[in-house]
Amino acid sequence: MRNDDTAEEPGTTHFGFKTVDRDQKESLVRGVFDSVASRYDLMNDLMSAGIHRLWKRFTIELSSVRPGQTVLDIAGGTGDLAARFSRLVGDEGRVVLADINDSMLRVGRDRLIDSGAVGNLHTVQCDAQSLPFPNDSVDCITIAFGLRNVTDKDMALRSMERVLKPGGRLLVLEFSKPVNPLLEKVYDTYSFRVLPIMGQLVANDPDSYRYLAESIRKHPDQETLLGMMEDAGFVSCEYHNMTGGIVAVHKGIKA
Amino acid sequence: MSGSHDPTVVTAVLMAAEAAINRALELDPASARDLADMAGTVLAIECLSPDVEVFAIVEAEGKLHLTPYSERKADTRVRGTLNDFLALATAEDPAATLINSDLEIVGNTAPLLALQTLVSKMQPDWEAPLVNVLGDVGGHQLANLLRQIFRWGQKSTQSLRRQLSEFILEEGRLSPPAAELDAFFKEIDVLGLRVDRLESRLKRLGQRLAGRR
Repeated sequence: MRNDDTAEEPGTTHFGFKTVDRDQKESLVRGVFDSVASRYDLMNDLMSAGIHRLWKRFTIELSSVRPGQTVLDIAGGTGDLAARFSRLVGDEGRVVLADINDSMLRVGRDRLIDSGAVGNLHTVQCDAQSLPFPNDSVDCITIAFGLRNVTDKDMALRSMERVLKPGGRLLVLEFSKPVNPLLEKVYDTYSFRVLPIMGQLVANDPDSYRYLAESIRKHPDQETLLGMMEDAGFVSCEYHNMTGGIVAVHKGIKA
Repeated sequence: MSGSHDPTVVTAVLMAAEAAINRALELDPASARDLADMAGTVLAIECLSPDVEVFAIVEAEGKLHLTPYSERKADTRVRGTLNDFLALATAEDPAATLINSDLEIVGNTAPLLALQTLVSKMQPDWEAPLVNVLGDVGGHQLANLLRQIFRWGQKSTQSLRRQLSEFILEEGRLSPPAAELDAFFKEIDVLGLRVDRLESRLKRLGQRLAGRR
């Protein structure tokens, strides 16, 4: 079911399996996340049977964030990673929860305040392609399940590389390509048949969840994303497959 | 790193173990305080079979953090198979087990022994969560019942083990007694030494004969 046809007409990009104008994608993605924001966490738990918490925890371990550091969590959604980072960096450090989507950011900010993560935490609504931060200012950037929704991924990776301090690290947690063909078939059936039904029942929005499944298939596989990170200037790039490659976490260091 | 295993599985196991350990520590504040004194200690456990590496990091609040990945320098690194680790975890004398086992230790052994002693001395107050939920009377009654069941289970296991051993040795005569086996192995050792001596004598004799020719 993976659609490997990544060639795009000039001025167009993909939105799930559809081809749309580049200018349109941002508003279409915003529509999806406006629609799912209120039930995002519940759906994540249902869709992944809670496993997304394990993927995120391993990503946090790979970050090796220390007290006093500055962390930027892009497409931070409802603030899962930011909450943990807030405790890790301590009072001397700083965590910026960034998201292009106002609805997601509001849900995330409220949840973080309710959980007591305040003081060292800031929220910023911004576009990952042109991050509004100074050069060499951040120790660690994470983007979990967000890169596939960005219109120009190469531009976003270059922007992240610019913002990171030399020696700083980028961690990209994203759906990827299962390494086992049998697992891929099961996963495809689940994504395209079960997921929209769950979206209908729980969030009354099957189309948004169909888009999520389609966007996963259009996202670059492990090796392609590794190459893109190297092209953006990152060094010592590597990735770890999780749950048979359904998800992969890529790590790159700014030279 | 987490060896060749899927990080999802390793992380799930470690999260469960970490939650259980930290819950037990919450129920034993004295042990939690002792652990807090070791804050910052990093212990690396490198299991060769199965191939898994785990880091146990002591946090300031007297909690233990288990992770499959850490870039911090380990104060103590212990390398061995799962059986070696199980033997150490259940040993009555951990220091002796450490010296005599096949475990390879790199770095400072003191934090490892302190941690093992702390674990063996832990006495979590299992009654506390029951009392919180069921009240003083109900919680205490249920805790007593659970304690009795646990003691009965322990006694039954010991008794079963003894009876099984008696049956195998005495009733069924399925295996010789340990003393008989020891004597047999000693005789084999003596026989082996005699054969070695005879072999060297034959060699010497052969060399002499070759010299005369």
